[in-house]
Amino acid sequence: MADTPATRVAVRTAVAANERADALGDGVLAGAFVALALVFAAVAAASGDTFFFRLATEALILAGVAMAVDLLLGYTGLLSLGHALFFGFGAYVSALVLKHWSPSFWAAIGVTFAAAALLGVVAGFIAIRARGVYFALITFGLAQVVFKAVYNTRELGGSDGIIGIPQIRVEFGLFSVQASSPLGFFLVTLVFVMLLYAALAWLMRTPFGRLLVAIRANESARALPGILALARQAGGLRDRGRGRRALRQPVPHAARPGVAGAAGLPDIGQRRDHGHPRRRRHLVGALYGAVILTGLKSVIGTWTEHHLIIIGALFMLSVIFLPKGFAGYVLPRLRRRFAPGAGKPGEGA
Amino acid sequence: MKTLKICAALAAVFAAGQVQAQGAPIKIGVVTPLTGTYAGIGQQVKWGIDMAIKEINDKGGIMGRKVEAIYEDEEANPNVAVQKAEKLFQVSKVDFLTGTVNSGSTLAVGQVAERNQRLAATTVSFSDAITGDKCSPNVFRVNAKAGMQSAALVEWMVKEKPSPSVFYLGPDYEMGRSTVAAFKSAAEKRGAKSVGEVFAPLDNKDYSPFFGQIRAARPQVLYTSVAGNDTVRFMSQLAEFGLAKNLQIVGAAGTVTAQNMKAIGKAADGYVTGAAYSAELDNPANKKFVADFKAAWKADPDLYGVDSYGVMYFYKAAVEKAGSTDTDKLRTAMRGLEWQTPQGKKTMRAGDHQAIQDMYAVKVTGGKFQIIAKVPGEAAVGPDTCTRF
Amino acid sequence: MTEILESLQFVYGPQVANGLAIGVAVILMALGLTIIFGLLDVINMSHGEFYALGAYLAVTLVGQGVNFWLCLALVPVAMAAIGYFTERALIQRVFHTKDRHILTLLLTFGLAIIAEDAFKLAYGPNPYKPESPISGASEILGIMLPNYRLFLIAAGGAIIVAVWLVVYRTTLGAMVRAAAWDKNMAASLGVPVERVYAGTFAFGVALAGLSGVLLAPIYSVFPTMGKDFILMAFTVVIVGGMGSIKGAVIAGLVLTQIQSISSLFISPVWSDPLVFGIMVLFLMVRPQGLAGRLGHG
Repeated sequence: MADTPATRVAVRTAVAANERADALGDGVLAGAFVALALVFAAVAAASGDTFFFRLATEALILAGVAMAVDLLLGYTGLLSLGHALFFGFGAYVSALVLKHWSPSFWAAIGVTFAAAALLGVVAGFIAIRARGVYFALITFGLAQVVFKAVYNTRELGGSDGIIGIPQIRVEFGLFSVQASSPLGFFLVTLVFVMLLYAALAWLMRTPFGRLLVAIRANESARALPGILALARQAGGLRDRGRGRRALRQPVPHAARPGVAGAAGLPDIGQRRDHGHPRRRRHLVGALYGAVILTGLKSVIGTWTEHHLIIIGALFMLSVIFLPKGFAGYVLPRLRRRFAPGAGKPGEGA
Repeated sequence: MKTLKICAALAAVFAAGQVQAQGAPIKIGVVTPLTGTYAGIGQQVKWGIDMAIKEINDKGGIMGRKVEAIYEDEEANPNVAVQKAEKLFQVSKVDFLTGTVNSGSTLAVGQVAERNQRLAATTVSFSDAITGDKCSPNVFRVNAKAGMQSAALVEWMVKEKPSPSVFYLGPDYEMGRSTVAAFKSAAEKRGAKSVGEVFAPLDNKDYSPFFGQIRAARPQVLYTSVAGNDTVRFMSQLAEFGLAKNLQIVGAAGTVTAQNMKAIGKAADGYVTGAAYSAELDNPANKKFVADFKAAWKADPDLYGVDSYGVMYFYKAAVEKAGSTDTDKLRTAMRGLEWQTPQGKKTMRAGDHQAIQDMYAVKVTGGKFQIIAKVPGEAAVGPDTCTRF
Repeated sequence: MTEILESLQFVYGPQVANGLAIGVAVILMALGLTIIFGLLDVINMSHGEFYALGAYLAVTLVGQGVNFWLCLALVPVAMAAIGYFTERALIQRVFHTKDRHILTLLLTFGLAIIAEDAFKLAYGPNPYKPESPISGASEILGIMLPNYRLFLIAAGGAIIVAVWLVVYRTTLGAMVRAAAWDKNMAASLGVPVERVYAGTFAFGVALAGLSGVLLAPIYSVFPTMGKDFILMAFTVVIVGGMGSIKGAVIAGLVLTQIQSISSLFISPVWSDPLVFGIMVLFLMVRPQGLAGRLGHG
């Protein structure tokens, strides 16, 4: 194709159309996610269930972690094996705030947000020098050091973790939600996770977001260390909202399945692209991935105690056969259906 | 308005279900590790409970109702245990919960039981805190706590070797440290001399880096609270280095068990522990229990198996005494309850929900635990330190 | 004076000697890992499970009455076949993508999850321990060391030398190094690159299996044993330089000594974080490790 003004305009139009179609596809999936969650909440509330509420709440919280991993892996191509570190850190900070300082949801979430962002900067500063597998290993090593350190610190409850975290009430000014109420807590979590999703989706559309993608597409962007530092800070920032977990008991053991979870979730969701800047990633896949995986684990776990064999096999199959994951599989099909004609240019990416 | 009516209708249906449940089976939820480090213990828990339930059902159940167990794998992880306990109470509507192994899980599940206004019992967890400063009105312990085991062991030790020099080696986590601390203070009170202590990481693979310190301290007795596969490594490496000679090794009740004894092999011979049970216990009820257990599962019962077997008879006796499965009535019935187990008569202390039973010093001889001394339950159990109820 | 001598004899001497035996064990694990990484660029997260599989095979064979020494020869052969198959059936599928680092890491991670659960299914959760084929202990310079550990140090040393000779002094090794240096160039010179890849993976897996047999009498055999050495082995590989045999040997010896001696002064639970901290430090400051990569000098 000759590089004439006309072709340039044509390409730009096609790219813009493609991006709109992508956004539409994501929007449809995200909307469907909320709708499904609300239907579930209605059914579960009507049948007076608690367990499935707790499970679903957990799935949503994991979806938050999965989005965080996805932000790094999906957009910048950095595989963090140490994401459980931020997850556990958030849980511990919010537990400490609630227990020793103030049993306020907003205090916990605010302090956790600030502390996690700070930790993200520190971890980013340490990990910033490493690339590719070295980045994966350094994050893994960091998480191990912190895990062992917490495990050995008796002031933090050592191997028993922190117990006796107060049950709190989430104040929204006009109304409030008791965190111990399964329905209320589920809805609060849903709102927070979807806000997180919306914020990240918006962030990815800003010039900063495009820069993140550019880092992956064009490794020469590495020459801009300041930008990269900013990107890593964002890596820390996405750990906001971890305070929701206040109700649960942080135990160091959590860090281990956490590693598996963090590494596994985005995969079922979606993974890998070939580094084309126009190729958008689908954060929404992380939402579905987390829910599918949590559900699968629970269902298979009741059939057989050897559920890890099945989960592991599914995991491997999805790496081999669905490297783009669930969203990567569904979205092009959705796009073709809802916005015919717009799919083509981006497909070649 | 319409929704209100539907809710009322639903409530009526549920209420009817509750009434009907009188003839339905009694459901026992068992949250136990079926996978992971403690899977071997979970296996014994399951065998013990399944066997007791079969016996009870063959004789007509509890107050005419069949008993049914529902198992959930807690992966020895308190977070998972909480989730599974919640599921059992809410979805399966179990009447009673048991099976948790690690003390963290028991404490966490206890909170779930309180929230759901049901009762739970542990048959394995040793931590003194469960019936001590972290006691719960909804949690009972039918097995002996760590303090009772060390009391029995100290009694035997000072009789055997007056004012011995003792070296301590424990795994570095809460249970390991508290077990060593409890034994140490009990032993020092009876004149033992402490010559050193080491805390190795949990799942430590090689203990030889600590052997220099042990040799240099020249103890007469080595006390350890490692468990599971850590014991296999620790004791076989001790033997490998020739350190086991002229050294009496003693330890916590969970240190050498039926699960790891075979792997330890000859290195286990001569090991002594304070125990609440031995398959060699010489009474008719135990003889029958051991024979039936072997016939059913092709394996020997251990402490966990027998206590998990016993908890079903504890529950049965309590329900029959209360005439109901109602939580409050049942709790009242359980307090002070006396019941029979293969270990002999047990009494549930009302003040802290800790079972009182006779304790023994047992020695491994040729792959079996032989009883070498007996300590009465009242002497071993120690004071009631629970202040919550 | 006697006090100093005594502390040397009872405390520092044994610490160094025991650290040496552990160091050899760790190096054996790290060798396979580093060779696979050096040539294939694959971080084999299931290396620990291959180590466990080797140990379980030994337990099974010994249970069938096979002599332990024979197992030392049989198991690596079986493991090599398993490794070859794994590479062809799984690794190859994602090997030619741009993200092969991450995809193979995730793939072998999944394999590790499956393997660990499969061991539980096949052998149950309880530990096994093959009887040590050499019993007794010897006193050398007043330091007690079990005879089997002396054998382990000697055998481990021999294996390390043998691996080094194979990689650096044989045509086979030259092919491997050529493929690691420049895959296309090697292929055009007639090196069967695909088979060299699978063969190298098989070699690494066989080494893991061999370590499994060698270490089973000391460390016992149980489903999660793969996790035991793997973190330490990764640390050794990173600090030594990924793909470097020399680096792995040096790092293996130094790090296990650090761990061993430090456990005298700090609570032993902190010696693990200490070593991982060293790893993180290396990744920050010198990600290529002490020595260069395989095929790169």
